[in-house]
Amino acid sequence: MSFYSAENLYFSYNSTPILQGVDLRIEEGSIVSLLGPNGTGKSTLMKLFLGLLNPKSGEVILKGKPLQSYSIKERALHVSYVPQSTQVAFAFCALDIVMMGRIAFESWFQKPSKKDRDLARAAMERLGIVYLEKRIFQTLSGGEKQLVLIARSLAQGAKILVMDEPVSGLDYGNQLRLLETILKLSKEGYTFLKSTHFPEHALMLGGYTYALKDGHILANGLTCKTITEELINELYHTNIELKETVCGYPVCIPSFVHTIKM
Amino acid sequence: MKNSFLFGMMIVMLGASLLISLALGRYEIDLGTLTQLLLWKLLNIGTAPKEVMLLSNIVFDIRLPRILAVILVGAALSVSGGAFQAMFVNPLVSPGILGVLAGASFGATLGIMISDSWFGVQLFSFTFGFVAVLVALGVAKIYGRSGSQTILLVLGGVISSSLFSALLSTVKYVADPYNKLPTIVYWLMGSFSAVDMKTLSSVAIPLIFSTIALSLMGKYLNVLSLGDQDAKALGVHVVWVRNSAILLATLLSTLTVVVAGMIGWVGLIIPHIARFLVGADNRVLLPMCALLGATFLIIVDTLCRTSMSVEIPIGIATSLIGIPIFVFALKNAKKGFA
Repeated sequence: MSFYSAENLYFSYNSTPILQGVDLRIEEGSIVSLLGPNGTGKSTLMKLFLGLLNPKSGEVILKGKPLQSYSIKERALHVSYVPQSTQVAFAFCALDIVMMGRIAFESWFQKPSKKDRDLARAAMERLGIVYLEKRIFQTLSGGEKQLVLIARSLAQGAKILVMDEPVSGLDYGNQLRLLETILKLSKEGYTFLKSTHFPEHALMLGGYTYALKDGHILANGLTCKTITEELINELYHTNIELKETVCGYPVCIPSFVHTIKM
Repeated sequence: MKNSFLFGMMIVMLGASLLISLALGRYEIDLGTLTQLLLWKLLNIGTAPKEVMLLSNIVFDIRLPRILAVILVGAALSVSGGAFQAMFVNPLVSPGILGVLAGASFGATLGIMISDSWFGVQLFSFTFGFVAVLVALGVAKIYGRSGSQTILLVLGGVISSSLFSALLSTVKYVADPYNKLPTIVYWLMGSFSAVDMKTLSSVAIPLIFSTIALSLMGKYLNVLSLGDQDAKALGVHVVWVRNSAILLATLLSTLTVVVAGMIGWVGLIIPHIARFLVGADNRVLLPMCALLGATFLIIVDTLCRTSMSVEIPIGIATSLIGIPIFVFALKNAKKGFA
């Protein structure tokens, strides 16, 4: 039984085809990175996996059942979404935002119970951000915001996290810390589907990679086998070399650095 | 707790402004006599004050229906304004965003033109308030499901508002300038002077029900203010929640026009002041909007009917008072509309 997968997905906005026959399989507890140039359908693909959009044909299967057969609430039990940036026009504190992960589990007029509050706090504690709980969300740094949104997913209780370019807009240190958090959570059994603009980040996280171009899967498989010099150059029209460092770790080196005198 | 204290304070202030407003007017009643009258009449305590017939006529037949209507309208405008601000993720939105006020105004002027009964005017006003919102929703629907639904709704609201404003101008242009036009113009400036027990009793239940229901939707509006995708991914039926909120807020706004004509600014500024006091959490914010809005409108209406020998239309007063308050409230904009 497939854990979380898509078979032969087609999707178009009006008459513009976006995805043309995409297959994608996600194993429980794995990290799947989506690579591909801008406007190639990564975000659309993730929205289909979240059930925010419905495919024109093909379907997404979650734990053996079509995703569309789940109710919105049931789906929220399994899959959560960590957006790239959440627009918050009003001053909510971080804990309020994390508590919103519990909304599907409260009944209409019920106040959040102590249990919900404890779950939200525990989620923040796991990510080491309890000290942010009373801060206003918009005043947080990009990295802190991402962590708060991940905490919201943990509070929601879903074991699958779909992340849209989680590191975009973060400084180098926060990027690395976020990747470390993803790795840590995946070791605890969480499953990740994320898009990224950095092949190196996919390499750091391991797992599986799907390279998407013009609505097709160009290559897929274990990240270390899939990401090659040829693939990156074809995907992004670049000219890079994939070199291994002394410790055997692959890095991308663009050809133009050779023309610069050190 | 800070919030319980604030709510306690606001309830006391609402009660106090209610009492003072009952006492003030062309025939002034001192607070002692008023208390004596209220205790005797409502709770059967103590003795009747002198001239009890006259006093109860003034207090219970003339002032009380009006003040109760003011309370309900103030609360309704503020709660629907607050709810719309959360829903459209935009603190500059007011209850008229979907065209409801323009539609209801057009309906009322049309009613004044062709109907002789006050009930007819109210019926026309109510109907066209809903028609205008349906036009807005219809326009949003034409553009389909792609793109942000809230922006399409705002666009639909702009179109619908303009349409009904134009129709309103047409009616004013053709209206009989001696008989009908002054009524229309006066009515468009808003006033509670026509409120009687009959109007009050017919609108009270839907107003109270919708105000409470909308206030109770606070936590869903919180999530809706994060944007549709987030809300959906968190397991909320976005369309269902939004449509219920639009229905309730439309009902509230239309009824305020039915009762008292156009009263601007209340639905825009009260949520800002409330947010300043209790924060952005709609579960707390919307009840606070109701209390603040009611108190604010009692004070303004009392000023309108007592400060000059002729009554000032309340729509003018709320605008003149509201604008400086709004300018002040915008100072908080940098802090994320805290």
